Amino acid sequence: MSDKSSIERIKEASNNLRGTITESLQNELTGAIHEDDQAVIKFHGMYQQDDRDRREERAEKKLERLYSFMIRLRLPGGFLRPEQWVAVHDIAGEHATGVIKITSRQTIQLHGIIKSAIKPTIRSFNAAKLDSIATCGDINRNVLCSSHPKESAIHAQVFEYADKISELLMPKTKAYYEIWLDEEKIADKKQEEDPLYQNRYLPRKFKIAIAIPPNNDVDVFANDVALIAVIKDNELKGFNIGIGGGLSSTHGNQETYPRLATIIGFTDTEEKTLKAVYEIATIQRDYGNRSDRKLARLKYTVDTMGVDSFVKELETRIGFSLQPAMPVRFESRKDYFGWHCNEEGKWYYTVFVENGRVLDEGTLQLKSALLAVAASGLANFRFTCNQNVIISDVADSDKAAVDAILNKFAIKAHTEASSAIRKNSMACVAFPTCPLALAEAQRYLPSLIDKIELLLQQYALDKEEIIIRMTGCPNGCARSYAAEIGFVGTAYGKYNMHLGGDRQGERLNKIYRENITEPEILSILDELFSAYDSERKAMESFGDFSVRKQWINV
Amino acid sequence: MNQANNMLAGHKQEILTELVTGSSKEELLWINGFIAGLLNGKELPEIAVPAAFPSRLTLVYGTETGNSKRIATEFAAKAKKKQFPVKLASLDQYRLTDLSKEENLCVVISTQGDGEPPIAAQKFYDHIHHNGFRLDNVKFSVLALGDSSYPMFCKTGEDVDAQLQKLGGKRLVPIRKCDVDFEADANDWFEEVLKTVQNRPGNLQAGLPVTKVLAETKANKKIYHANILSNNQLTDRGSSQKIWHMEIQAAGVDYEPGDSVGIVPENPLSMVNEIIRLTGIDPGKKLDFKDGEHTVQVLLHKKLAITHLHERVIKKYAGIVQQEIPELKADLKSLLELYPVKNAAMFEEVIQALPPQSPRIYTLASSVSVNRDEVHLTVEEDRFMVNGLRHTGLCSAYLSALQADDTISFFVQKNKRFRLPAKEQDIIMIGAGTGIAAFRSFLMERDAIGAGGRNWLFFGEKNFTTDFLYQTEIQDWFQTGLLTRVSLAFSAGITQEKYVQNKMLAQAKELYEWIKNGAFIYVCGQKAPMSIEVEKALLKIFETEAGTNAEAALQFFNQLKETGRYSKDVY
Repeated sequence: MSDKSSIERIKEASNNLRGTITESLQNELTGAIHEDDQAVIKFHGMYQQDDRDRREERAEKKLERLYSFMIRLRLPGGFLRPEQWVAVHDIAGEHATGVIKITSRQTIQLHGIIKSAIKPTIRSFNAAKLDSIATCGDINRNVLCSSHPKESAIHAQVFEYADKISELLMPKTKAYYEIWLDEEKIADKKQEEDPLYQNRYLPRKFKIAIAIPPNNDVDVFANDVALIAVIKDNELKGFNIGIGGGLSSTHGNQETYPRLATIIGFTDTEEKTLKAVYEIATIQRDYGNRSDRKLARLKYTVDTMGVDSFVKELETRIGFSLQPAMPVRFESRKDYFGWHCNEEGKWYYTVFVENGRVLDEGTLQLKSALLAVAASGLANFRFTCNQNVIISDVADSDKAAVDAILNKFAIKAHTEASSAIRKNSMACVAFPTCPLALAEAQRYLPSLIDKIELLLQQYALDKEEIIIRMTGCPNGCARSYAAEIGFVGTAYGKYNMHLGGDRQGERLNKIYRENITEPEILSILDELFSAYDSERKAMESFGDFSVRKQWINV
Repeated sequence: MNQANNMLAGHKQEILTELVTGSSKEELLWINGFIAGLLNGKELPEIAVPAAFPSRLTLVYGTETGNSKRIATEFAAKAKKKQFPVKLASLDQYRLTDLSKEENLCVVISTQGDGEPPIAAQKFYDHIHHNGFRLDNVKFSVLALGDSSYPMFCKTGEDVDAQLQKLGGKRLVPIRKCDVDFEADANDWFEEVLKTVQNRPGNLQAGLPVTKVLAETKANKKIYHANILSNNQLTDRGSSQKIWHMEIQAAGVDYEPGDSVGIVPENPLSMVNEIIRLTGIDPGKKLDFKDGEHTVQVLLHKKLAITHLHERVIKKYAGIVQQEIPELKADLKSLLELYPVKNAAMFEEVIQALPPQSPRIYTLASSVSVNRDEVHLTVEEDRFMVNGLRHTGLCSAYLSALQADDTISFFVQKNKRFRLPAKEQDIIMIGAGTGIAAFRSFLMERDAIGAGGRNWLFFGEKNFTTDFLYQTEIQDWFQTGLLTRVSLAFSAGITQEKYVQNKMLAQAKELYEWIKNGAFIYVCGQKAPMSIEVEKALLKIFETEAGTNAEAALQFFNQLKETGRYSKDVY
């Protein structure tokens, strides 16, 4: 293996993720932190960003870039109690831009936090029993779980796995508490010895999701580790385990590719499942590529080793054989908007949040509405991987009160009036804060959807739940490679258009057109929708139709 | 003595009386011998003269910035060395009833920007102007300090000189008017005073004309006509203030770090046009002005002050239009609206009463060693309230509107009291807001000449994100090691300490260490409260770090000032 990447050296030298963060925070000359620390703070759940729109103007003013930080919470399964939502609401107003962003991985993040406000922010989170440990960086990230409790009578039982896995794969270092919460320095380094991560952590980010079929709302195959609950007669039998999912790629680098997880077997007990998950991580730790970060995700480790060798190594490490995968069937990949009831008789209202941005904007007072719901204490909050929020666990007797709040702020009208295409669309953050962005995404997609809606209306296709996703770069945060229509930014105002993903997330799309601009996008879609309207079979999704028409080679 | 009275005529008698009454017994014996020697045709060595005529000298000073005090103190020391009995007093501590008893009265006095005396000299100034007393036996001379960039250059000195003569005083030597670089002129004046006092009685110079030579040469400062290269705002969107950086190209411009430029602002054309409309005067009509003939249009636009007029000018205006005007400060336009002139001719009278436009002084933010043929300025929009209305300062508004390729005129104003020390000396720079200008100049210069001394910058502003003036340059200087230390204070948070003085106290130990090792201290920016608080902090640091008392701290501070290790450029 060739030389370790610089990030590897930083991790090893970081003194268990401490780096020189404390010194960086004390440096008054800059709103940024030391370059090496920028890699280290990711493990504490934050990214240094800057307002890219303001770079030129600030440079002319002899001011440095407008640096700020994004902090992402660790919310296994995407669950918040109402008082925690109130806390997040207040923190967002006091220290961040005020916008609460629901991410595509079931958590929330705040943007625009200046350096001196990081500590107060984390302390406030801590007071609300929230943390941001390991939500970014080369480590196990937020663990996903199908969000809607109506999915299964035993949703709660499956849901607990998210927490258990998150705890199991937490780093042992106390750096987070020491740096951000001023807890005493540990005297004995042995206390934070980490048999899993050692001092090198993983070669790259590591994502785990748990899906409850038949809905694949978590896009389970897009994760490094996919756990698919096998449920029979309202009993959790165990999990099918998949490995090597991951959507990011690099423009112009043929060695990189998006990949869906490969199912390698089944485990029937909690102990076995957790053990398997843990050892998949240790194999990735030991075999993952640590010299080229573009080839470091588990998917490349799996393909380099070969699936069979990987499983053999895994079985050696776990000390038992995986059982053959059980048959499961996915049918959809969606959120259940509006009111729904679970087995127990509790109520759930899924609110449509365009691109996950919770704010008061014009007539849509979404942030105020959610605060009112939280303040009532009548509902919990669950986030979906489609960046929406479910007002959750409402007792039958409280439903009317919550319904009144949602009506008062016209949230129901908004959710109901939004088109199917809009509700099934997703975009990443991109400009102005994401340093990787090549093109706009969340700031642009809504206006593109406006135009696509008109096209669909022409063909009376506006009730079709076609999944459209856009990312500002090829890293796939909004999982555009797993969309029926995917847009991947290549340059400002230019996108590659991908077609052929299926409805339930088991087939990736392929590039259909490269570097196209909005007029081209619209004229191409017009033709495609026209064909879809006249030639599709009954119940045939747009993605399946694209494949049948051989618009792309799958 | 009576015999002498009868024998000697007029002034000779006066001199003799003075001579003998002002002399000690020993002196009288010496005079006796001197005259006897003269009668015998015997020559006496000249060197004996001063020792033999120890005339009493009184040095009083009226100071605002400390210049008059410093120079008067130096004179006193010099005179003492030459064995003159000397009395030195600040005018606010001088017993005014002693005036008529003075023998040789030397007044060192400065003039404020608007032609007013320094506060410390106000009582004296009023006393000589209002009280009916005579100074027939007093010989005097005035050293007037001022700044030729202001139209009321040395006005207070002139007033005092004229009034002392009016009260019967006799000039020892003519008034000397000094510009900001006063040292040489001032010393020259005092040499003359001493010589005259020594050579008394033959050299009394009552009623001699005032020589204006110096004032004229100094007033004719070299005016540069220059091009604006760039004019960029430094403060970011969302800032509560507007501060910008101007780069101006001026071929051959020469200055040193610490110097300033003076800029005479132009009045807004819209206001000038409105005044012309209101008065009906012919804008093309030519009128006399101190630097030649100009049209009314040019006078109103570029030569005369027409905004924020002083009470004195308003009184003159009231006299011309024959009306009661209660306003204490007003613009010409509003006066014309409220108390109109009868006709264009009457407005010409008003024009004669208007003061010339004063230059505004900006500390330079560049170094010729780096920016040849350029001057850089850090300008803050000057905002203030008059009668509840928000106003913008004339000059800052004028400068803010300038764009690349526009032209501007300025002169360089030397500031010899704000100079970098030798290359190897450490410096501590303490400033807030636009006070950073001087330090940008200092740092650029020290970088360019490869000065080896360490540099420590204390800088304070409001908001880190929007108001960190020259942030990227300061970062670079820190990274390259030019700045050894940078200590920042932002009052809107971010830093633990809100103001520079808090920061200094927080780093008292190291700061004292530097000073003890010989560092030179510079303060630039707002006079109040910044420089006052900084000085308080320094005293406290001297006291606590040296483990002494307030008195010793003050003594140490004074020592720093006297040895030129503490300088300030505050406004």
